[in-house]
Amino acid sequence: MFHTALSLSDLLFLLKGASVTVAVTVVAVLFGTALGLAFGIIKAQFGWLATVPLTFVLDVLRSVPLLIQLILANAFQSIAGLGLSPFLVACVVLSLYTSAYCAEIVRGGIEAVPAVTRRAARSLGMTWRQDMTNVTLPMALRVALPGWIGLALGVMKDSALVLWLGIIELLRSSQILVTRLQEPLFILLVVGAIYFLMSYPIARLGGRLERRWREND
Amino acid sequence: MFNYTFHWYQAFRALPQMLHGALVTLEVAMLSMVLGVAFAVLLAVARMSGNRVARGLATTWVEVARNTPALFQIYMAHFGLGAFGIHLSPFTALLAGITFNNAGYLSETFRGALNAIPPTQARAARSLGMGPVRAFWSVVMPQMFRISFPPMTNQMVWAILMTSLGITVGLATDLAGVTQGLNVKTFRTFEFFAMAAVLYYLIAKTVMLSARLLAWRLFRY
Amino acid sequence: MKSSILLGSLLAATCLATAAVADKLDDIIASGTLRCAVVLDFPPMGSRDADNNPIGFDVDYCNDLAAALGVTAEIVETPFPDRIPALVSGRADVGVASTSDTLERAKTIGFSIPYFAFQNVVLTREDAGIADFEGQAGKVVGSVAGTYEGLQLEENVKGWGSGEYRPYQSQADVFLALSQGQIDATVVTSTVATSIIATGQYPGFVIKGDAPYDIDYVSLISLREEQGLLNYLDLFVNQQVRTGRYEELFDKWVGGGAVAPGLTIDGVYR
Repeated sequence: MFHTALSLSDLLFLLKGASVTVAVTVVAVLFGTALGLAFGIIKAQFGWLATVPLTFVLDVLRSVPLLIQLILANAFQSIAGLGLSPFLVACVVLSLYTSAYCAEIVRGGIEAVPAVTRRAARSLGMTWRQDMTNVTLPMALRVALPGWIGLALGVMKDSALVLWLGIIELLRSSQILVTRLQEPLFILLVVGAIYFLMSYPIARLGGRLERRWREND
Repeated sequence: MFNYTFHWYQAFRALPQMLHGALVTLEVAMLSMVLGVAFAVLLAVARMSGNRVARGLATTWVEVARNTPALFQIYMAHFGLGAFGIHLSPFTALLAGITFNNAGYLSETFRGALNAIPPTQARAARSLGMGPVRAFWSVVMPQMFRISFPPMTNQMVWAILMTSLGITVGLATDLAGVTQGLNVKTFRTFEFFAMAAVLYYLIAKTVMLSARLLAWRLFRY
Repeated sequence: MKSSILLGSLLAATCLATAAVADKLDDIIASGTLRCAVVLDFPPMGSRDADNNPIGFDVDYCNDLAAALGVTAEIVETPFPDRIPALVSGRADVGVASTSDTLERAKTIGFSIPYFAFQNVVLTREDAGIADFEGQAGKVVGSVAGTYEGLQLEENVKGWGSGEYRPYQSQADVFLALSQGQIDATVVTSTVATSIIATGQYPGFVIKGDAPYDIDYVSLISLREEQGLLNYLDLFVNQQVRTGRYEELFDKWVGGGAVAPGLTIDGVYR
């Protein structure tokens, strides 16, 4: 008979960790998407020469491991004496990280809208703003949404790294339990299952949306 | 503003050590990519095959790889398998973890690419007298690689980024491991990790550039 | 001309200095909470009880310090390699985390007088075939990255010329690796080794002799420039010993008839 020392309160402890994971993810995805939308529009709208600095920064955010970004940001805020909480540092870093990927998704979406369509919108007398909000972005959304869902799930999984800053999220709380209970395999499996349950349904939804929208093309 | 004096000299003196770590990082990433592609092809084929067991196993692999954190997968390769008495060294555990992850993501890429190749191609190859394996190997697969080359490049960059997670399973020889080793001795966190960030950026850029050259060399008509 | 500039900047500096007179000690008292960095996978110094609350020698020590300051204590859990970053980044005020007072670290942070002292021993599994410290030569050994014993063991492995040293990021991972056979031995402080064997969680763990390292004196830590706080910490450690509280905590957490280790060194001050 299978026996485990994992008690109900330990399971609640894990779920508390999971709620921290979700909180960090939601904040990062919200701010990251807002920033990414702005960056993506800028990148799609202006020539590459004008956006070289922005492109470089976003490129760095996508080429340096997230773990190292977190360590660096934390070290920097301490050097500068900002006194930010680890949670805030984690949210800022993850938001910027998200925005770098989101900008690419948004740019891809906008560039997928045929130039003729946009010219037609403008020749109907629409302003740039009207064209953006009523024509281009709705069409771009269809192209970009599956990628965006993938990104949001990616951020949730990558948020495990914030444990390095001392934040007790899902993976860290499992390590705490492993230390006390010495059942690494079972506890790790439980944690894997929790991550899977948080990610898989949304991933399936994204896949379904992608397929359904492709049929309408 | 800064109540802190930067000790850059110390960091520069450690550069040779860190460059050596960068080589290990590149080595893990490349090996994981080669192995990942091989497994991914098998997984993609298994998922499209009629065999239910093969399909079930492949689907489980792909979904677990795509729906749990890479850090979890690497930790599992070291301490999870360790519970069964399977001992992977930190290097192998990291390699196994990243390979598992790469294979999961790449197989989905390949599956998409395979769906995009018209089935008439395979049929034409078969009617020319090729066997099913030969037709897949010399007609379908090259096209699959061409279609999925850009996502493969992205996956390679991700593989490089993922190598930094090796420190959590006791790896001390890759770039992140070397940097952390220097950090815990001197606590000059910012200086050392800033150097590491620059090196990671350069590695990623070099890989992207070589991939573009390679694509130009391999896939032009 | 030049001297007047000098005088001016000197004056400015003095003004700035007087403006920033409230130091860390004042801040702690004013805020009403003392945030202690404590390592919680290092029994008996720090661990968690069945409800996952922090307990241990260091936790009690932090509570005593908070009581002396008239504030409430808050435990900030930090893995070993994260102790000093946590302090420098302002997540914790004081580190009560068995920090060895090495000269390299003193370049970055400030140490109080020692509040505990460790003897290091070789911890291995019965089936690993290691009889003493030298028996580790050629084997795969591991320890926590950046600890006193970890840094020395890494040097030893280099000296032996064979075998492998693996730095893990927490004490828990080291024990896990040792129990699974990923590594064959580790060097840890005797208190931790005794207590981990006593828990019975790891059947097969045995202590095989002492490590030939100097006694590992550990101190409370704070920011290097916080002289006022460091001064207070010195006196606090002194008072803990003087009032017998140190003995009391030692009996509570280590016990076993052992005598609390002496914290002074013959023939030299501090």
